[in-house]
Amino acid sequence: MLKYLAKRGITYVVMIFLTTSAGYFLAVSSLKPALLEQERIPRPTPEQVANSMRLKGLDPDLSPWERYVDWLTGIITRWDWGRSPNGAYINAEFGDRVWISTRLFLASIILTLVIGVALGVYSAARQYKFQDRVITSYSYLAYIVPAPIAYFLVQLGAININESVGDRIFFVTGISTPGVAPGWPQFADLMAHYVVPTVAITLVGWGAYQIAQRQYLLDNVNADFVRTARAKGLSRNQAIARHALRVSFIPVAQSIAFTIPAIFAGGFFAEKIFAWPGVGSWSIDAISLQDVNAATATLAYGSVIFALGAILADFATTLVDPRVRVQ
Amino acid sequence: MSSETTTGATDPSQSTVERLHVAGLHAPGDAVLSVRDLNVRFNTENGVVHAVRGIDFDLLPGRTLGIVGESGSGKSVTSLAIMGLLAPTAEVTGSVRLKGRELLGLSDKAMCEYRGNELAMVFQDPLSSLTPVFTVGTQIIEALTIHNPTMSKKAKEARAVELLAMVGIPSPKDRLKAFPHEFSGGMRQRVMIAIAIANNPRVLIADEPTTALDVTIQAQVLEVLHKAQEETGAAVVMITHDLGVVAGMADDIMVMYAGKPVETGAVDHIYYNPRMPYTMGLLGAVPRVDVAEKSSLVPIEGMPPNLLQAPTGCSFAPRCPLASDACLDGEPALAPVADDGLHRAACIKSDSLGGTVDVHDVFAAPPVPVSRFDAIPRAERATVLQLTDVRKHFPLTRGALIKRRIGTVKAVDGLSFDIREGECFSIVGESGSGKTTTLLEIMEFHPDQDGEVVIGGLSNKQAADAKTKGKMRRELQMVFQDPTGALDPRFTVYEVLAEPLQNAGMDRAAIKKRIMELMKLVGLQPDHVNRFPNQFSGGQRQRIGIARALAVNPKLVVLDEPVSALDVSVQAGVINLLDQLRAELGLSYLLVAHDLSVVRHISNRVAVMYLGKIVEIGAVDRVFDNPRHPYTRALLSAIPVPDPHLERTRERIILQGDLPSPLQAPKGCNFATRCPVFAALPPAKQEKCLTLEPLLEAAAPSAAVQVLQQAPVPVPDQQFACFYPDGEIDEDMLVVHEPADHLAP
Repeated sequence: MLKYLAKRGITYVVMIFLTTSAGYFLAVSSLKPALLEQERIPRPTPEQVANSMRLKGLDPDLSPWERYVDWLTGIITRWDWGRSPNGAYINAEFGDRVWISTRLFLASIILTLVIGVALGVYSAARQYKFQDRVITSYSYLAYIVPAPIAYFLVQLGAININESVGDRIFFVTGISTPGVAPGWPQFADLMAHYVVPTVAITLVGWGAYQIAQRQYLLDNVNADFVRTARAKGLSRNQAIARHALRVSFIPVAQSIAFTIPAIFAGGFFAEKIFAWPGVGSWSIDAISLQDVNAATATLAYGSVIFALGAILADFATTLVDPRVRVQ
Repeated sequence: MSSETTTGATDPSQSTVERLHVAGLHAPGDAVLSVRDLNVRFNTENGVVHAVRGIDFDLLPGRTLGIVGESGSGKSVTSLAIMGLLAPTAEVTGSVRLKGRELLGLSDKAMCEYRGNELAMVFQDPLSSLTPVFTVGTQIIEALTIHNPTMSKKAKEARAVELLAMVGIPSPKDRLKAFPHEFSGGMRQRVMIAIAIANNPRVLIADEPTTALDVTIQAQVLEVLHKAQEETGAAVVMITHDLGVVAGMADDIMVMYAGKPVETGAVDHIYYNPRMPYTMGLLGAVPRVDVAEKSSLVPIEGMPPNLLQAPTGCSFAPRCPLASDACLDGEPALAPVADDGLHRAACIKSDSLGGTVDVHDVFAAPPVPVSRFDAIPRAERATVLQLTDVRKHFPLTRGALIKRRIGTVKAVDGLSFDIREGECFSIVGESGSGKTTTLLEIMEFHPDQDGEVVIGGLSNKQAADAKTKGKMRRELQMVFQDPTGALDPRFTVYEVLAEPLQNAGMDRAAIKKRIMELMKLVGLQPDHVNRFPNQFSGGQRQRIGIARALAVNPKLVVLDEPVSALDVSVQAGVINLLDQLRAELGLSYLLVAHDLSVVRHISNRVAVMYLGKIVEIGAVDRVFDNPRHPYTRALLSAIPVPDPHLERTRERIILQGDLPSPLQAPKGCNFATRCPVFAALPPAKQEKCLTLEPLLEAAAPSAAVQVLQQAPVPVPDQQFACFYPDGEIDEDMLVVHEPADHLAP
């Protein structure tokens, strides 16, 4: 297993290097931060702009290849991912933003999975009954409604609650209120900020897992091996719980492992709407701000997390399916 | 689960009372399972299907009941109804009593106490019947845990090992930790049997337990079932469509048709003195592997009725050659046959049948067709197909980026044979022996192939351009195993048949004429050409497949398991058709089939393959009546014959284990690892088998025979690859059933 992981790891490192390098070349040849500087008032002279860029290691006069070599040397020798046109250091910014994204999504991902899979099993066991129809219809609805609209609806709901109570219970945007006393008040403030985005992301997210889990389980409830289990003396529900569930979880486990990283890296709708400045919104902002180094860094982060997801998916499959052997 | 446990544990008195009560109701030796008026109805979109219509039987301890019938006759539904495993939407009425206790109407939870305990079942498909994610040990132990919650972990493990050993799995202790995918089909079916007998059931239901298996493996599994029954003393319900399988095992037989038993009785009555035309037809439709005499098979025309409407007359009447108006007046009940009270048949004419009535007269079997080539000696006929030293080796590699060759799979290894005009040549062998690869190699037409394939004078070495390939293809056409899968569902029969003709460049008028000819040729109504394949039955679809193959007038037709997907009564019709076409059109066949009875019936010559090599080849009667190679002997002895007396007394060679993986192929004789003769040889002689590879050679007639005959004896058409033909068979692999328990003198 370890040998296999090492082998896969090396393959992914090579792939990440290639995508990131290609991304850097693309960014460096299409993003021109110097142009944005020109719009400042008072308008700086081209010499001033070039000088300030050169100081930040973003010299527009160098060829893309020279800038690439500089950038790569910085990463390899000092683990320095460069600076933004506004002078910020990517390394510092990056750490903050990853932490914010992780905080925003961690709880809702866990809730999404648990609720989605549990409801999938519940509705499969009651196929075509009232509960199944309600749950599955909801899931399809959540599938269809665009995520931003669903997030706005949840925000509106939270505002309604605040208004009807007459007090501000939930914050619908932001991470925390500055200047709150540490300890219990700070924790309460964090929670008040945390509830709305978590509920919104969870409500939208579980539908996919519910539909998948329900479908895979239904494919298996009438399988021959479930009949064998019943012939051994298990009741129908016991046989499904012990034999069909595990088999039906194999494809779900794989899809879970693949979607977790995608959410971490690409949740820019949620980050924008709830005003949590994480990695997702940074990657979009970087492009509009002509920020070569930030754009490349978010790309690198995305590919690393995708590689982790792929390894996680392999790992999850071998864990639940003995037929898959790692070699 | 826990509530059941407490009822079982705290109420021992009640269960004793119940037992005494049962003992009073049923005298000792009385039925363990009695079924009365069992009816099953399914609600479907088309209406209510009455799948099982009134089944009665009593099963005595230690006895075996064979339920025989074609697909759709309701035999599997019956078994699932007894087990309480039908979908909750199925409506089951009547009575099923296990040791006097009524099972019908019990809740799923209440049935759990009986299922897997006193009532156990083995299912048809061993590949899908075990949970893939649990070890075999876990699955056996689960069956023990459910019914013995107090049993210690150690005791359960010991019992699981004991069970695996009982069903013949080598090194059972290690195999407990193996997953189902690490077992072959036969091994998985053994595990299924081990699970079923784990709690010493009183009744064991086996639903087509060997249908999915090779004949040699079938013989092993039947042997295991026999042993399991002896060990547990259980009564067995054996459900099958194969009359041969139950002939040796069953005490009583119930023949089912359209959801109803149409004839029941002791096994000898049913096989030797059938009184219902359907039973007679079924017996006449099965070719015999042990009989050389050539007679046509008995086809039963038509299709079983659909069970949406209640039949007003005898359900078999529309297909019965003896049907008269009286037969349509009400459905006949099972009535005792005149000479024996236990033998009952549902036919108003049963008294006039039986005894000397020949099934071939009743069903008007067609005469045996005679080909114009039959009179010409084989050596003087033209060669249609010639294979010389054909090989197909697949490299076995490891590694993702850099592939290392770790071995070679010799799927076909030096095959040479020829097929002459007007003859049927068959290839037989277990799955994995290389039969299909051989066919694929013949159809390949590629100059780079290893070995030479000559089809109608054209060699694959010349087949560089599409034109030659097209010519070769016209000489040789193929009929596939699954008639449903091989026909495009969106094509009408006309389009199916027109396609090869268009490719051959025929004009529209000629195509139309040819299609009408073809339809008549294969026994289909020409006005059905505009129908789609799903409007035909399985047998008719296979006829369409045959018509398509014949469209371009090929010399050779390759038949890949042409009848294995069909029911016996339908199969007989298709075999007769093939026989007749061969005679009328002077065709040659290359047939691949796992059913040796079919092979014997239709072939002139046969080749037995084992691990990519021909081990024995020759005239079919010669090879089947006087097999020399130990593998041929084993293969032939594994086939059950629909003759109860013969089945009970004959000795059979039960090969150990499965086909070895090609990687483990031994250096000398391929078959040495499983060979029953090799096992009995002294070590000095074994050495030869292990180091030298036996070549395919004709047997020289022994000197004694030469002297006796005075004139030189013509060399018989038979070659085999073995150093010790006709050798002693190892005793461990030879099984003769004790005749005592079945045959009262």
